[in-house]
Amino acid sequence: MISNVLSKSKEDLRIGVYVCHCGKNIAGSVDCEKVSKFASDLPGVVLSKHNLYTCSDPGQETIKKDIAKHNLNRVVVASCTPRLHEPTFRRTCEEAGLNKYLFEMANIREHCSWVHLYEPEKATEKAKDLVQMAVARAALLKPQEESTVPVARKTLVIGGGVAGIQAALDLADTGYKVYLVEKTPSIGGKMAQIDKTFPTMDCSICILAPKMSDVGKHPNIELLANSEVVDVSGYIGNFTVKVKKKPRHVSKDCTACGDCVKVCPVEVPNEFETGLSSRKAVYIPFAQSVPALYLIDEKSCIGLDNNTCGACKEACGPKVIDFTEKEKEVSLDVGTIIVATGLDVFDPAGLTEYGYLRFSNTITSMEFERLINAGGPTGGRLVRPSDMSVPKTVVFIQCIGSRSDSKGNPYCSNVCCMNTIKDALLIKEHWPDVKIHVLYLDIRAFGKGFEDLFRRAKEEGVMFTRGLPAEIFEDSKSGSLYLIGENTLENKKYKIEADLVVLSVGLEPRKDSDVVKRLLRLSKTTDGFFMEAHPKLRPVDTPTGGVFLAGCAEAPKDIKDSVTQASAAAGRAGILMSKGSVTVEAITPLMVSDNCKGCSLCEKVCPYNAITVDKESKEATVVEAACSGCGTCGAECPFEAIEMRHFTDEQIFAQVDVATAEDANKKIIAFCCNWCSYAGADFAGVSRMQYPPAARIIRTMCSGRVSTKFVERAFARGAAAVLVAGCHLNDCHYINANYQTKKRVERLWKKMERLGLDKNRLQLAWISAAEGQKFALKMKEMQAIVDGVSAEELEKSVKGFMPRSRVVVKKSEKAIEKTVECLTPEIQSLVCKKRSLPKDVGVKY
Amino acid sequence: MVYQNQILNLGKTLKNVLDFDKLKFCFECGICTASCPVAELIPENYNPRTLLHNLLSGSVDMLKSAELWLCAWCNRCHNHCPQKINLPEIFQTLRKFAVEHGYFEGFYKALSIIREKIPLPASSCYVCFHPERVIGDRKLVNKAIKDIILDYEDNKQKPKSIFEIPGKKVAIIGSGPTGLSAAQDLAKKGYFVTVFEESSFCGGMLRNCIPEYRLSKKIVDCEIKHIEDLGVKIKKNLAIGENLKIGKLFQDYDAVLVATGAHVEKTLGVKGEELKGVFYALDFLEKSNLKKIEVHGRVLVVGGGDVAIDCARTALRVGAKEVSVLYRRSKDEMPANIWEVNEAREEGVNFEFLVAPTRIIGENGNVVGVECVQNELSEVDDSGRRYPVAVQGSEFELKANFVVIAVGQFPSIDFLPKTVDVTKDHRVAVNPFTLETTTACVFAGGDVASGPATLMEALLAGKQAAVTIDCYLQSSGLDSFDKISAKKLESEDCDK
Repeated sequence: MISNVLSKSKEDLRIGVYVCHCGKNIAGSVDCEKVSKFASDLPGVVLSKHNLYTCSDPGQETIKKDIAKHNLNRVVVASCTPRLHEPTFRRTCEEAGLNKYLFEMANIREHCSWVHLYEPEKATEKAKDLVQMAVARAALLKPQEESTVPVARKTLVIGGGVAGIQAALDLADTGYKVYLVEKTPSIGGKMAQIDKTFPTMDCSICILAPKMSDVGKHPNIELLANSEVVDVSGYIGNFTVKVKKKPRHVSKDCTACGDCVKVCPVEVPNEFETGLSSRKAVYIPFAQSVPALYLIDEKSCIGLDNNTCGACKEACGPKVIDFTEKEKEVSLDVGTIIVATGLDVFDPAGLTEYGYLRFSNTITSMEFERLINAGGPTGGRLVRPSDMSVPKTVVFIQCIGSRSDSKGNPYCSNVCCMNTIKDALLIKEHWPDVKIHVLYLDIRAFGKGFEDLFRRAKEEGVMFTRGLPAEIFEDSKSGSLYLIGENTLENKKYKIEADLVVLSVGLEPRKDSDVVKRLLRLSKTTDGFFMEAHPKLRPVDTPTGGVFLAGCAEAPKDIKDSVTQASAAAGRAGILMSKGSVTVEAITPLMVSDNCKGCSLCEKVCPYNAITVDKESKEATVVEAACSGCGTCGAECPFEAIEMRHFTDEQIFAQVDVATAEDANKKIIAFCCNWCSYAGADFAGVSRMQYPPAARIIRTMCSGRVSTKFVERAFARGAAAVLVAGCHLNDCHYINANYQTKKRVERLWKKMERLGLDKNRLQLAWISAAEGQKFALKMKEMQAIVDGVSAEELEKSVKGFMPRSRVVVKKSEKAIEKTVECLTPEIQSLVCKKRSLPKDVGVKY
Repeated sequence: MVYQNQILNLGKTLKNVLDFDKLKFCFECGICTASCPVAELIPENYNPRTLLHNLLSGSVDMLKSAELWLCAWCNRCHNHCPQKINLPEIFQTLRKFAVEHGYFEGFYKALSIIREKIPLPASSCYVCFHPERVIGDRKLVNKAIKDIILDYEDNKQKPKSIFEIPGKKVAIIGSGPTGLSAAQDLAKKGYFVTVFEESSFCGGMLRNCIPEYRLSKKIVDCEIKHIEDLGVKIKKNLAIGENLKIGKLFQDYDAVLVATGAHVEKTLGVKGEELKGVFYALDFLEKSNLKKIEVHGRVLVVGGGDVAIDCARTALRVGAKEVSVLYRRSKDEMPANIWEVNEAREEGVNFEFLVAPTRIIGENGNVVGVECVQNELSEVDDSGRRYPVAVQGSEFELKANFVVIAVGQFPSIDFLPKTVDVTKDHRVAVNPFTLETTTACVFAGGDVASGPATLMEALLAGKQAAVTIDCYLQSSGLDSFDKISAKKLESEDCDK
């Protein structure tokens, strides 16, 4: 089969194949020697080797030497996922003078050896197929030139918590212009609300306030508080961001004298004090606020709309209050963006067994912080809310909203154990006689200095009991709380009477994080936090170029980790900006003007509006800087007028053809998008989730690249089943390209129905990068479908999808009608519209 | 059979037969055990958390363990579990294995544990433990319960330690499960126990409201007889407040346990509740138990608790052609036990979810139908469930010949002195650990303090009360009890 493919290529092929053992990672279940031997016999291959670690220095050196010695013009490495080492090997090729687009990888680790650990023979067969597919594709690869785009030396930081503050200061100090956008009226975030920090017991606001004022004063930082990002367009190095500035109604000349507050008649719960005290409708969020300006809360002020009250305006000495101020929108041009949107605290009201909100003496750890804070509503005196007395027994319940499948979130929130230990010590410091019980599942004191703090708490007499209470009862008269649980170390029930119960609540992704996610085309892990580009090697990058993560937006973390990550993000953004330019992967489309009919179908499906069709010349052109290379235009074009560079039709056909050359009736051809589904399959591999070895995965940048032709080709060649997998519908890395995928697959389903075929054989799945489990399940599910496909069914589909010979639109109207009938509806309408075309034009379908 | 291999690893087998959802990872938080009434009653014999742990790592010997048979199906562990591990279903599966392999040892062992340690053992077996759910052969189950529990020799013996503590007398108001359970324990400890019962029958809800098909009344009689044999006096037809002043009790007895249960029916608050053919749940169950009621045609049961299910299944047995249960929330929020619901479905009971009655329609004073409204769920309310809200303009009519209202009960506590505090939702306020009320020497337990609950919880409350009363009478006795204040109670607050 492969020779058919090769015959198409005109140049003299000299392919070098390297099969990597990856220690035992691949060689454990795949016979690498056998695979390498197999590859050496493939046409076009002049050299095939297997080595222990291809990515190591000696491994790379071998490739370089071989390129020179054997004059290789294609290199294929069969090892791990291209998402990991493709850049490494591309660099190797470049260093040896080979265009990096002439390099191809076969993923025989994540997609083969790790997921078929116990089927060495089948794994080896699959690895052979994968290598053969890579060789076939390599044969058709063409050298490409990458273009560069400039990077604006300005950064947008979204979120003014400690992470955002740190990132902004780092970049501003380096000399870049920084826009810091904060949704609330003051920066500071959650750290400003906390009393002390663990493990050093530093006062939180005392160490944060100087940084906040630095931000306010820094000449390179433009602080946009009380503002929200509403739109982001552009791409790496050249983002245009629209920011909505909500009105403060108090101008910058405010002297913060506070005269307005005295006369304001409206009282509402104070958010900063977690509702434990109240504030006026005109207020300053907290004493150390930056900007140190008052503002009017639009929701609660009674004077704004109907002028029934104007007390503050009258009382204001410098006359800085303006009721008429309107919302403003500003547009910013930035090169990089740092997302530091932070977290939400878990709301335990849904856990009725613990009675939060129902019992006045059950509070959350955040409320506790304000209660024990000297600047808080009680002046730092720990009292229980029901009768304002100092409690004699305080119980902390851990893992509220964490590590649970049904009551909150499944992940560990990382900071609550240490926070509780810190809180317990704080109580002991001021009121040594208070009895403290900590009811826990596991105490996770993993960081520097954490264990010492834990020991100190034990020394001070804090009681740690393993086992969470099942329920809390309240004595309605005294307000005391009764807890019943099991001490699971002693297998005995405990019953505790407590004066105050503190629910140690976990951290959650922000409820409004979906907005940022959509605007910046980010992905989320199943936890709901933003996903990094690589968990180990690119922990602060996102899949979207030029966008970086800092702080709890990425995962729950403590202050130290947030600051560390913020500096890292600032560093990453700084690298891009100091370079001043960035190269764009050469995967954008080339228009074949001879074939283009100017039908503008490509223009319609392009998510970036990067294609324009000239109405007069009827020719499509691509704005390369705006294009991201998803390939959905290439999949849509009925005239083969678009060549997707590095993901051409021929290359994909070659992969399909090779994969279906033998035993096609037992195979699944899976088209997976680079960002989500391919990564999801990688994740299944990394997690060693075992699934049947029937699938042959073909990588495309986006599922939108998967043309109906590819699927039809697979069926025509007798494949038992086809999977088209992409990102979840609103998570597409190319805005909305996967909606086109959906349409195409639905069209194919209709066709299969018409042909009397089993629709289940073509599966469409939305699998995110974090859903390895889902991918493995899908594979198992599809194996059952493959097992159930009969010989007749296969024959029918082969016949049904066999490509027709060129249908020539003949001159007579009748003939056109006849031809039109056998075409898909879209093309039907197209052909009908295009009757004015030169009559001898062929419509190939 | 695959499983006949004796060295079979139960953990592996479980993983094969149960789907992943039911067998999630346990972090050993202990919430299941802490919320389990059986684990509280017999901590030395039963601990669901360690049982699961042993099952997952254990060998086939676990199938012979008695613990497997001691789950009372209250489903509290499953509802409370942070990982939503479905322990009852896991145990059910294991019981099935045990039966398939002929391992009945565990079952017999469990019955003797129940006899030794759980009050009203035979009734508990039928109402809570349900061995018949896996052992298809009802005759075998009945015989085992009869042989091991009811006819057990020791039952007929007199208590050994009787009258060791002379002169201490305890009054128990109410002869339901809580009262009887406390009476039994206190009598065994040697106290004079007198139980006061308002009606002419003993057993409370156990007799009146658990349908005959679930529990034969002969068994209840037999068990009450065993308790009477211990020296407990039961005075029937004596309503406190009416026939007997409560002050007299305080005078004559050293401690009083209020275990009057929850009998007052909540009404729907819609028009037409007075029509002929409209019943309230407890009344309906009681009358049908006494065979004083017959229905025909279509019966609508309003409510989603266990009582509603009992009513629906009873209605089928007393002549209804078609029975539908109307519940205002969706299936997920329904408080009724899932097994009862499934059994009801199998018997042909229909369920209509998200439906609330707005009016009962009558013709000539008889019920002919119910006007209902479709609900949708909104925010989570105080009970942790999503609150139903009527959809505008979704009214519709359902035909009905009879309507049974089973929307909950609350306690009647008007007879108590004012010094006994009452909660906002009309229950007696007690210390949940000791069941003490705000008045010395008065204790309260069971539904009257907790609101409607299961039999196991009622028995547990009785046991707890017995322990506290014993402590109270032994340690301090009447010394700490201010007699003057007791007299004051009598004259001013009591029996108004």
